[in-house]
Amino acid sequence: MFYLSYIACELRRRKGRTLLTALGLGVGVGLVVTVTALSNGLDRAQRKVLAPLTGVGTDVSVTRPLKVNAGGAGFAGPGAGLSASERKQLEQENGGARIGLQNLGKPGAKFQQTNFVTLTQLSFPATTIGDVKALAGVADVAGGLTITALTVSGTVPKSTQPQGPPGAGATGGPPRNINFDQLSLAGVDPTHPTLAAISPGQIVKGSYLTAGVTRQAVLNISYARRKGLAVGDKLELKGRTFTIVGIAKTPIGGQASDAYLELDQLQRLSGRAGRVNVLYVRARRADAVGSVQESIERSVAGSSVTTSKDLADRVGGSLVDAKNLSSKLGTALAIAGLIAAFAIACLLTLSSVTKRIRELGTLKAIGWPQRLVVRQVTGESLAQGALGGIAGAVIGVAGAAVITAIGPTLKASVAAAASPVAAGPGPGAGPLGGSFGQGAVTSGSALVKLDAPVDVGLILLAVGLALLGGLLAGAVGGLRAARLRPADALRHIG
Amino acid sequence: MAENHDRASEPVLYELRAARKRYGSGDTLVHAVAGIDLRIERGEFVVVAGPSGSGKTTLLQLLGALDRPSGGDVLFEGRSLAAMSDAELAGLRRTTLGFIFQQFNLIPTLTAQQNVEVALAPGELRAPDRRQRARDLLGRVGLGARAGHLPSQLSGGEQQRVAIARALANEPRVLLADEPTGNLDSATGDEVLALLRSLNEEDGISVVLVTHDPSSADSAKRLVRIRDGLLLGPAEVVPVTAA
Repeated sequence: MFYLSYIACELRRRKGRTLLTALGLGVGVGLVVTVTALSNGLDRAQRKVLAPLTGVGTDVSVTRPLKVNAGGAGFAGPGAGLSASERKQLEQENGGARIGLQNLGKPGAKFQQTNFVTLTQLSFPATTIGDVKALAGVADVAGGLTITALTVSGTVPKSTQPQGPPGAGATGGPPRNINFDQLSLAGVDPTHPTLAAISPGQIVKGSYLTAGVTRQAVLNISYARRKGLAVGDKLELKGRTFTIVGIAKTPIGGQASDAYLELDQLQRLSGRAGRVNVLYVRARRADAVGSVQESIERSVAGSSVTTSKDLADRVGGSLVDAKNLSSKLGTALAIAGLIAAFAIACLLTLSSVTKRIRELGTLKAIGWPQRLVVRQVTGESLAQGALGGIAGAVIGVAGAAVITAIGPTLKASVAAAASPVAAGPGPGAGPLGGSFGQGAVTSGSALVKLDAPVDVGLILLAVGLALLGGLLAGAVGGLRAARLRPADALRHIG
Repeated sequence: MAENHDRASEPVLYELRAARKRYGSGDTLVHAVAGIDLRIERGEFVVVAGPSGSGKTTLLQLLGALDRPSGGDVLFEGRSLAAMSDAELAGLRRTTLGFIFQQFNLIPTLTAQQNVEVALAPGELRAPDRRQRARDLLGRVGLGARAGHLPSQLSGGEQQRVAIARALANEPRVLLADEPTGNLDSATGDEVLALLRSLNEEDGISVVLVTHDPSSADSAKRLVRIRDGLLLGPAEVVPVTAA
């Protein structure tokens, strides 16, 4: 077709204009490709961090946290704000009195005592599982138990009375030959592996808990390293020996305990048979999570319902900052760049048509109908758009490659879960200090290497945008050409 | 001023009846063609001569259907050009008229052959036939060996001959030439005029040539003078004997 030859000749022989227009479009489109690739990379990094949180299978977790003192002055002691029955229940669950040293044996005798305590949340009967499962939108429910095993060991001191002159008050801290150790534990229902504090996917060594097998434990990797334990070793707990069958790594934002036992066994060991203090709930559909959350809050008195989105929202750090920056500033920059590129293409095309007025007037004079003149101008612009798309794809891919090559490392961090119980010693809290927030969300940070992936879809987007720019410029130039009157065009001094 | 001649029996190519063309308005109003009556017969070689600004180019544009008259009428073979649509005028220009411009007006990015083909592009000729016709026309004007050259690689005279080949592409009945020798030296200009004469005499193509150069009038069988938008001279056009 002569029309295509004419376009090719125009582009080939007016190199400056062709390159300028294609480059203008290319830079704008390339910016869109790079920003989109960067955004994709950030999405991928976020998914990598969040996948273990959201992919476990639990959509909603339910607990019954203790309330903070209404005065907001911090922890008011276990039982503060609870009803009489709940206070009694809490005392029963935690074994009532403080750890006392009076009945451990004769002075000088060695002792070890383990108490299972929970100070941050109440338990509820396992029958609640069935109640929640019956709610609309709920697909499945499993129970869990998160507690702390507080072990006191050592030698019975010669005196358990406060030292010093009468009236002088208690002196010093605990006797030096008393050891305190705490171990956070989580009970897992192995028949619901994806509705539990840990899932099989989080096992990094060994295996997951097997239903029906007794005295097995999975350790958290950080605890195992701290204690120098490995798969096959033994864990002693209140006189029982558990075989370590696996090591798990919980993601940041995921629930973390030091050790995981079969729920049944932990319930019996801790004297909480038939009790759970966390429910793991899966909704039937993703869009039902909100309504499930509301139903549970209405049905289970005093419940605190947390969704995986709540966990995801707590992830912060430079990864999230970069994502937000990319979403807001990056998008705005890409749009501005694209508008500028389109404007440049239109202006250059208009300028070209103005410079070629005599030529276009001659075409009309020798009998070219208006539609062919417009088609010529539009076709040239589209061809420049195609070149711009190629340039944009190359620039965009190069930009993305630079980002990937630099590979900045971003941090995703999660602060410790806000516990209704303030850290630190307090009545019933024991002398060790620190949070007894069992089942707390894993705090800390993860480093993620950023890349900027480019796929075929993105390349096609680049070419498509550039063609759109060419079409727009062609429409503007074509309109100008269409309005040319041959006589006026031929009078033009160009 | 009207012409008096008894040529009613001969086919009339053009008939202008008080044709007018004005530009601008108010203080800037210009009567480029102020009321011209003119008849041009088939097969004539008419030279319209006048100084710069006399309206000769505007007259040519009216004859070439490049512009519409502001008043009066321009009839081509009995049809009023003012009543035709833009598409009809474009079709008329393509199939019946050929244009030759003072500045050649070749497409700078196309070769000589492609510049001739551009006139054939809107038609229905297949590409091989189109290319062959373009080469034949270039051969006819003596530029067969220069078909692949860009206009920037051709002399002024060669460019004008390419323009003539382009004007002949669709076998027009009329050639309209606006100062075709204006940018050429005298020897080259004479060559171009000789070519136009041969096209008129051998092919029977009517030629209307506007010029400010009195020497171009030597090519004419008929001379029409124009000044300030009006035809000059006695009512009869003085025929010029070819030298």
